[in-house]
Amino acid sequence: MNNSLLIINQLFEIQQKLREMGKAESFERNFNRLFAVFEEDGFIVQNPTNEAYSDSRTDCEASIAGSLSSKMKITKTLKPIIYRKDNANVQLLQKAVVIVEKT
Amino acid sequence: MKSVNFGIDLGTTNSLIAKYENGKAVVYKNPVGLKETLASVVAYRPERMLVGDKAREYLTKDPVNVFGGFKRKMGTDEKYYVVNIDENVTPVELSSIILKELKKFVPPTEPMEAAVITIPASFDSMQSNATLKAGQEAGFKDVFLLQEPVAACLAFFNETSAKENPAGYWLVYDLGGGTFDVALVKASDEELKIVDHEGNNFLGGMDLDFAIIDSIIVPAIIRQTGIENFNEELRVKYGKFETLYYQVMYYAEEAKKELSQVSDTVIEFSATLDGKAYDFYIPVTRKDLDNIFAPLISETIALLNKVMERNKLSAADINQLVLVGGSTYVPQVREQLAAQTGITLNYAIDPSTAVAVGAAFYAAGKYYEPAVSIGLENDGPLPEITGLPDGITAAVADVDIAISYNRSSRDSEEILLITCTGEYDKKQYRIIRKDGGFDTGLTVLKAKKTEFLPLIPGMANLFTLHVYNETGDEIHSLTNEIAITQGMFNIDGQPLPHDICIEVDDLENKTTKLEVIFERNTLLPQKRTLYREISKTIKKGSADTIIINIIEGDKNSRPSSNLGIGCIEINGKALQSDLVKGSDIEIQIQLDDSRVLSTAVFLVMTQQEFKNVFSLSEKKINISRLKEQYAQLENELGYTIRNFQNNNDDVWEIKASALMAELHTVKEKLFKLKEKDKSDEKYVIAEKITRISQEYDKLGGNERIASLLEEYFTGKDRVQEVINGADFEKDELRKQFQKLEQSETSFINSKNVSVVEGKMRQLEDLYHRALGSTTSFLITVFIEYKTYTREEFKDHNAAKSVIKMADEALQKERYPEFRRHVFSISSLVKSARYNSNIDFKGTGIG
Repeated sequence: MNNSLLIINQLFEIQQKLREMGKAESFERNFNRLFAVFEEDGFIVQNPTNEAYSDSRTDCEASIAGSLSSKMKITKTLKPIIYRKDNANVQLLQKAVVIVEKT
Repeated sequence: MKSVNFGIDLGTTNSLIAKYENGKAVVYKNPVGLKETLASVVAYRPERMLVGDKAREYLTKDPVNVFGGFKRKMGTDEKYYVVNIDENVTPVELSSIILKELKKFVPPTEPMEAAVITIPASFDSMQSNATLKAGQEAGFKDVFLLQEPVAACLAFFNETSAKENPAGYWLVYDLGGGTFDVALVKASDEELKIVDHEGNNFLGGMDLDFAIIDSIIVPAIIRQTGIENFNEELRVKYGKFETLYYQVMYYAEEAKKELSQVSDTVIEFSATLDGKAYDFYIPVTRKDLDNIFAPLISETIALLNKVMERNKLSAADINQLVLVGGSTYVPQVREQLAAQTGITLNYAIDPSTAVAVGAAFYAAGKYYEPAVSIGLENDGPLPEITGLPDGITAAVADVDIAISYNRSSRDSEEILLITCTGEYDKKQYRIIRKDGGFDTGLTVLKAKKTEFLPLIPGMANLFTLHVYNETGDEIHSLTNEIAITQGMFNIDGQPLPHDICIEVDDLENKTTKLEVIFERNTLLPQKRTLYREISKTIKKGSADTIIINIIEGDKNSRPSSNLGIGCIEINGKALQSDLVKGSDIEIQIQLDDSRVLSTAVFLVMTQQEFKNVFSLSEKKINISRLKEQYAQLENELGYTIRNFQNNNDDVWEIKASALMAELHTVKEKLFKLKEKDKSDEKYVIAEKITRISQEYDKLGGNERIASLLEEYFTGKDRVQEVINGADFEKDELRKQFQKLEQSETSFINSKNVSVVEGKMRQLEDLYHRALGSTTSFLITVFIEYKTYTREEFKDHNAAKSVIKMADEALQKERYPEFRRHVFSISSLVKSARYNSNIDFKGTGIG
């Protein structure tokens, strides 16, 4: 399982880098395919970037940049959220590592 | 009297709880997030209180409401003013909050009235008493204190070979996330005693991360960007590089962890600084860290030497140096300690949990008097409370709670309304999502409260609402389970009435099977992409086809028993190049609100896309596939009739024969039909085949299913026995067996004859594989092959030569080689078995 997490994190990182370079579109189908393979094995990967952030989100480990506000947003994701789905049970396997800023 | 058993490491940075059980200490995990450690931080957010990691996130941003490191202030008259609640809190109160949170790690069925709590070696009587008070405020009837270095030694003595000869001096080196302590412990037959200690409250693993930033990352950024004063700017609170600061903190920690395993790594990231985009690529080696970490580690060793010198001890006088605290994982720490002290290091147990584990061992030998009756907090008639283990104090409800919410949702979050009546003042609630991704923290209860519950898409999201009284004890009678299904139900009452499936090839059984795309009751619209492989080569220009057949019905039944709702055929004439077996195919299936089905197929090898939109009012039928379905049904029915005959099941045999006769009535018409036939004939025939297939599925009813299942379970025992005796690939066979076992519930629940029969075929295949992995069986088969005549082999000369090699391998007991040869011989034997479905074409999708 640890190896699967390692591979998912590496894939996620490669995807982020390609996005920053503006080249992600050409590889989108390949990434979708790869993440679909992991999903078949029960690993659900979520990128919370641009989602609202609140102190009840225990699916993320956040560093808060700038000042606090009642409306915060995830602006950067260094590691994605990974859930493990086993039949009907879902368990958080990895918290996202994110940077949060006020909207 | 009962044994205390619970041990708590109430740390400055992190805290843990463990329990002694059956000779071992078990460290409990946080039910939210499943970490063993709880950050010793409390945050008073507006209307709610957070404890642990989530609270730590706000530590630097909201220091007037968030508190950590309060352990250092235990036993003082220091008070913290909390702006959000307009009240003062003491270090004792904050510690008791941490202890209460740790209690929540333990399942509610385990009584918890007493605990051992660890304290630093440096704690004086005032500080010790303050810790005792925090334990009592957290609801512990009895609290026992234990010094942290003693707890660590106990953990090592009980779980490693150190216990064999513990007498003498031990040094406990505790390097945590933010603090460092070293203690000299003297062990004798009777006791463990702290002789001396030293420490630094501002030296820990985080300082190692800062050293990486200062010495490696910052210089590299300055070299590349030339930004003046970058180092100073990086650390400015709310400064322009603050986001980057948190990024590099993370990368530094990751590099430190990685270099504990490998000798070099690269810190790689992109950032925009002063409007310009940069890519940073910073190679780091373990050797670089040796130099950078050296001054910090030397500082800890200087404190260690101070203790040694003060007690006039040399390395030879110390039994072992026991390593405690997560930062002792860092290889440089271990290497420099070994080199500079000359003392044998002991890091045989997890340094992060050693103190809690030791406390649990100590707790096993401490006793307390459990409460005789259930404690009650209010007057009035006693409510009946049953089912609690001895010693659990039950908080009683003087408040009523009603909750309302939608049990199904299409949104990413769902609103929950909590309505309270009675004495809800000063009570708190907390809602936790079962997977650990959401926790409201302790929130003040009011007459009406609303919470937005975030939902994971496409599944049942389970939450638990807990309610706590003024002292933080849970009122179990008010616990509510909340289940909200996201995207699976149509709240307008229009769920998908049947499963939507795709027909794919089952090459092992030379047939096709259904794979579910959208399950029954799924909420529309839905979209899904399937990734599969082409199961046969299709030549460019040939008449061979790939068939994407979308079917509505029961996912557990055979394809021919269901309704085809959409079909795309791609033949060789439409291909730009050959499509090779094993190449990828992507099938995107979309069902909109009006149940219009859209299918897009992408062939990765030829880079071609085929699209189609179907209305569910039109049927699509592929005639060649229909013919194949007919042939499969005819085969299966024939097989079943023979089985009925063998088992003398006369009634079922008559029914099955009648179905076969009915099937034969369409045979001639079907096989005369041309692919481009425009008449209604194909619909009439398809309808009839579907109906006969459904009748066949029901044949014999529950009695036949029961009989098949009995046969299956008998066969299963036989297969298990053969697997246990296998000489090759035993693990793989067991895995396959377990996989089959795991699918039992679903195929038994399907109550479908063809599904059970399919599983029996799989079981039979596994049986043959297991036999083929058993040397004694292979020898029997080999002896039989040797009696075969020339005519019984496809290539007699080849067979003769392999038989010779097999003989030699057998004589020299080279069994893996012998096995390979037997397999080769079997492939040279003429067999009628493989000819039965040799013409199977299927859908072309594997």
